[in-house]
Amino acid sequence: MSNIEQTLLALLTEALVRERELAPELDLDTDFVSGLGLESIQVMEFVMTVEERFDIAIDLDTLSTVKSIRDLGAVVAKAKAVTP
Amino acid sequence: MTQTDLLEKFSAIAELRRGLLAGGRDPTALVTESLRSPTEGLINGRNTILAGTNNYLGLTFDPACIAAGKAALDAFGTGTTGSRMANGSFAGHGALEREMADFYGLPHGLVFSTGYAANLGMLAALLGPGDAVLLDADAHASLYDGCRMSGASIFRFRHNDPASLDARLRRLGSQARRALIVVEGLYSVLGDVAPLTEMVAIKKAHGAYLLVDEAHSLGVFGATGRGVAEAQGVEAEVDFTVGTFSKSLGATGGYCVSANAVLPLVRYTSRPFIFTASASPSVIATTRAALAQLRARPELRTRVWANAERLHAAFTTLGLNLGAPPSPVVAVRFAQRDDAYQCWQQLIDAGVYTNLMMPPASPDGSSLLRVSCSAAHTFAQIDAIVAAFKDIVAPVQRRTSTPVVSA
Repeated sequence: MSNIEQTLLALLTEALVRERELAPELDLDTDFVSGLGLESIQVMEFVMTVEERFDIAIDLDTLSTVKSIRDLGAVVAKAKAVTP
Repeated sequence: MTQTDLLEKFSAIAELRRGLLAGGRDPTALVTESLRSPTEGLINGRNTILAGTNNYLGLTFDPACIAAGKAALDAFGTGTTGSRMANGSFAGHGALEREMADFYGLPHGLVFSTGYAANLGMLAALLGPGDAVLLDADAHASLYDGCRMSGASIFRFRHNDPASLDARLRRLGSQARRALIVVEGLYSVLGDVAPLTEMVAIKKAHGAYLLVDEAHSLGVFGATGRGVAEAQGVEAEVDFTVGTFSKSLGATGGYCVSANAVLPLVRYTSRPFIFTASASPSVIATTRAALAQLRARPELRTRVWANAERLHAAFTTLGLNLGAPPSPVVAVRFAQRDDAYQCWQQLIDAGVYTNLMMPPASPDGSSLLRVSCSAAHTFAQIDAIVAAFKDIVAPVQRRTSTPVVSA
């Protein structure tokens, strides 16, 4: 697991614990919607936190292809590579 | 789960509807059977105070507006049967465009068939692939849809948060010069107002453009009713102002006004402008008459604010969990979705109609009752609304007193 993926897992776990007062069962490939029952708006809120943590910008179109931490990790890694 | 049939996606919606119906009344299927005034209607056979409309100036039954609509029906018929670009531009459409521009003191105006079409049409025309749009997270669906239609890269920033906007523009680097910031003046659900002064400073620093949707603030905010940008003294820095005729002006339709010479060119490129029938002549006529009323009668604005302040003060005294400082939109927030739903039903039974907002249609996942004030509400009606909230809502809010933290 990469550093980025580790950070994303921790951020998501923290957000879910805050929301549901319950630690979720979660791995790199858990589907945000079908696995965690998140609404698309909640995924967008989470991504806003991720943008701030890594100081990157992720557009909504890119986000539509993201289903899991593994997908999101790839997007973050790519954005960090182009952001000075 | 993989969907196997085209229509399988509806099973989740059917489930949602079953849940709504099981609770009693379907909040999306309420019918107003007749109207006695802008603020009173018959719902389920009962006289009901309408406290969930967007009739801010109460002009829907204004005699001058009704007379203008009737005269236009007689002179121009029921509909235009065509696009603005073809046979559907009647004298009134052009006149309304000039009058809207004149009202804002700007050279250019454009009228669309609905407010939704105005947002779709302006964003799809202004933006294209390779451009960036910075969108307030709580922006209206029509703004989201317009951005999506344009093919531009969409970046959301935290609601009403200038620092969040600034950070995203900074990350865009040189692309910021191809960026449009999109915000609303008054947000229609929580009733909070955009910090345009700070946003304008950020816009200038990055060389971006700014579009402000004054749908809910037209006629309500600013010394002459032009909206929140006028109230905050930043109109000169707003590149494009959009809005609707379906709230303060009591009709339907949308508009854009601008100092920028590209606005007249939007007619040639905006698909939601071109590929739809233009507004009916009577609708244009009542809108023009309502705009004249808005300009001639500043006391309408004074009255809607007096009602808003009275309602907000009384709700504060009751200890209700409110969404924002006083404005004609007052949102009462609930920690539990079902509490909001039950209160909404009981208020209707008590003769008060409010708007029920639940996730995902409400911001930050909370449930709320949206109460809106009109210049046409009497103080007696405002007091009746307050009395109903005291009986029905206040006890529930005391029971579940955990405040919903405002974002």
